[in-house]
Amino acid sequence: MSYAVVGQRVRRVDAREKVSGRAVYAGDMNLPHMLVGRVLRSPYAHARILSIDTSKARSLPGVKAVISYEDTPKIPWNSAGFPPSPGAVLMEDQYILSDKARYMGDPIAAVAAVDEDTAERALELIEVEYEVLPPAMDVEAAMADGAPLIHSAEKNIAAHMPVVIGDVEEGFREADFVFEDRYYVPKVYQVTLEPCGVAVAAPDMDGRVTIWTSTQMPHLVRGITAHALGLRTGQVRIIKPPVGGAFGSRLGVVNEPIAALLALKSGYPVMLKYSREESFLGTESRHPITMVLKTGVKKDGTFTARQMTAYIDGGAYATHTPSFAGPVAGWFLAMYKCANIKVDNYSVYTNSTQCGAFRGYGNPQVVFGVESQVDDIAAALGLDPLEIRRKNHPCEGEVWSWSGWVIESCGLEEGIERGAKAIGWEAKRNRQAGQPGTKKRGVGMGYMMHVSGARPMLHETSAAVVKINEDGSANLIFSNSDVGQGSGTALTQVAAEELGLAYEDVMITKTADTDVAGFDIGSHASRQAYSGGNAVRKAAAAAKEKLLAMAAEILEVPAENLTVENGVVRTREGAPKSISVAEVSHKAHFGSHGHQIIGVASEEPEGNPPVYAAQFAEVEVDTETGVVEVLKIVAAHDVGTAINPALVEGQIQGALQQGIGYTLTEEYRYDPVSGRPLNPNLADYKILTAMDMPEVETILVEASCQTGPFGAKSVGESGLVGTAAAIANAVFDATGIRFKELPITPEKVLAALRAREK
Amino acid sequence: MKLPITLKVNGESYRLDAEVKRTLLDVLREDLALTGTKKGCGAGECGACTVLMDGKPVNSCLVLAVDASGREITTIEGVGGIEGLTPIQEALVDHGAIQCGYCTPGVVMTAKALLDSNPHPTEAEVREGLSGNLCRCTGYVKIVEAIMAVSRS
Repeated sequence: MSYAVVGQRVRRVDAREKVSGRAVYAGDMNLPHMLVGRVLRSPYAHARILSIDTSKARSLPGVKAVISYEDTPKIPWNSAGFPPSPGAVLMEDQYILSDKARYMGDPIAAVAAVDEDTAERALELIEVEYEVLPPAMDVEAAMADGAPLIHSAEKNIAAHMPVVIGDVEEGFREADFVFEDRYYVPKVYQVTLEPCGVAVAAPDMDGRVTIWTSTQMPHLVRGITAHALGLRTGQVRIIKPPVGGAFGSRLGVVNEPIAALLALKSGYPVMLKYSREESFLGTESRHPITMVLKTGVKKDGTFTARQMTAYIDGGAYATHTPSFAGPVAGWFLAMYKCANIKVDNYSVYTNSTQCGAFRGYGNPQVVFGVESQVDDIAAALGLDPLEIRRKNHPCEGEVWSWSGWVIESCGLEEGIERGAKAIGWEAKRNRQAGQPGTKKRGVGMGYMMHVSGARPMLHETSAAVVKINEDGSANLIFSNSDVGQGSGTALTQVAAEELGLAYEDVMITKTADTDVAGFDIGSHASRQAYSGGNAVRKAAAAAKEKLLAMAAEILEVPAENLTVENGVVRTREGAPKSISVAEVSHKAHFGSHGHQIIGVASEEPEGNPPVYAAQFAEVEVDTETGVVEVLKIVAAHDVGTAINPALVEGQIQGALQQGIGYTLTEEYRYDPVSGRPLNPNLADYKILTAMDMPEVETILVEASCQTGPFGAKSVGESGLVGTAAAIANAVFDATGIRFKELPITPEKVLAALRAREK
Repeated sequence: MKLPITLKVNGESYRLDAEVKRTLLDVLREDLALTGTKKGCGAGECGACTVLMDGKPVNSCLVLAVDASGREITTIEGVGGIEGLTPIQEALVDHGAIQCGYCTPGVVMTAKALLDSNPHPTEAEVREGLSGNLCRCTGYVKIVEAIMAVSRS
């Protein structure tokens, strides 16, 4: 199927304002009498607050508000941006400011003052008496007998989620071989270039508050913030300006309630902007997970039983974690077909910063474990690693157990074939024995499936309004939660395609404004192109229907005989007649009709079609230094119809930078005794530079689906899901050593090489 | 302590009294409202605050405003705007090299300095030149492609 606008590499709607430095991000704003907000953070990982005295800070000239737990509404809440849904387990254990320090950096008090220096001095004047408690910095320590309780949950286990399909014990008995391995994936940060946590809150003397914030979820953040403040939802207005990256870090409330409370208490606008260090110390990371995987398999590679026991380190507050355990189970059980599956997930509190969303939402963690073990299984059974994936993955027409719905399309086979060819799979595998010297090369692959939304676990509501203007151009009103991925551009293309207008003739609301646009869940679960796109397409179709009805009246032909292309309405058959969209719309506005042609849609999409990827890595392992160098990554992704191939490639390429970092360099670490973070800065938390990135080849497989807009599925998160497994499997191919913990640092490689020599 | 300084930014002179501890970045953003230059870390690690000082790229978060007095400063606002974009900017737009845009002004400044001194760099030189500008969105792929396209033209 070919389209006029969909499938084109059009320029982004916001490219020029960004490339010229004219885009105004939340942290660039300045309002009359705007105050500077600052947060006092706990210096202890675990401590009871015995007393807090803010009187000296309050009396400092230039200080307009000081708040502590005593000043916050006593309303518990949960920062995770979830719509109330069957899959949302929202344990409310947070307050705007804490009554107890549960991690080093936990917000204890906040001030608003006329300038930064005054705000800093005010923080120093707040007197807090702490009773220091022993911290529990990992799941083992937190679940140990006698461990300090972080909340009131027994053994610090916030939730336990068992899932049972069939009978795994029977499955293990049927197996020819049983593999059991333990994997660990660390705490890593999204590291948006704009540090996470920027909000400007402006009070309104009529009882409302407007918050400009770097967020992925304008409407859900509005709801949570209003709840935490004890306000009606409509009293809070969220405006989302350009956002400097998100990747899950802004999936829910970050610091909006603190900013809003300071604004409401002081009566002035307040800018609360976290530093780079604070964005590490005090915002949500990816979940560390310890996974024990047990798999029963027949000689021919058929799985008879699959079991995962996962200990999810959720950090100091529940936020996402008990809900997150659901997709973690889902990723595991749905990626390979098997009659007998068991999952035991434990969500555990620790005294680290709370964990939330980071691109892939548990899938990169699970896929690292599963795909490492499947690689071992293939090696042990003498099976082709590609064949064992082809044999066992769920495919088009089968029920996908993540959603319980039939898979609409599957491009995995094509992805594996093209990816293998691009990496040189046949020629480059199994070179281990024949490589002299200290540099060993190898290739590996990892496969993954991902979602195009979170249905049926979560609601996926989106709303769009399409207005056709009097000159034939159109405005698209959407709660545009584009945080850099380009969804605003893709949605514009969907609207233009459906309307039969040129891309340049459709203008989307560049920002999101909850006072203006209808309810939209936001940017999460790779949903914008699919869920948002469907709502936009329906709104455009509704507008087009009205447009054609009016054109039919003017041209005196039936509406069914009309089509609109490139801004002109024409007859499909019979006598050729035409009229421009501009003329129809002008007559609508100013003729005898007296109305604007407007299409509206607010809906949930029909499905949740999974996407597939096969990623291939070639690595070189230096056995003298332990350094793993990635030479090339081939990422073959089935995304459905690529609405804008350049944007799709960009999503995959950028995700790979994060995925390679996850595999080799990134780990946020704490001192296990004091709970002090060891690397809350970009010098010690190493993300890849332009020099570190290998050659990257993206392959787009467009297995279009039935329910997506013009067949689109998704891409946002999936680019890094299989990367760690592909690299770890390549390291195995190069060295014969299996690494079951990330990141694969030179120290770990050297230690493993030495251990093997002994 | 404040000192009187003259900042020459994008061809205009600004006289102001600057606290000696204040960075060029903060003065550009807060006093001159030139917010195109971004603050990503404040520690010289990310390159989002890159500006040109006498034609050379610097992290403006590591330069004291008083030390920039009298020097020729070029920020993103002095490169290309409503009157038209420069070839580097056009190339970044055309190659889809912009996502969140937060690193972009720094990348433009670094690329400008690189191409001003070496109009036809190799890919390795481009990557080395960009190594002080962190990007978390693009994997640098399309940024490098865009600068290489300008290098070849």
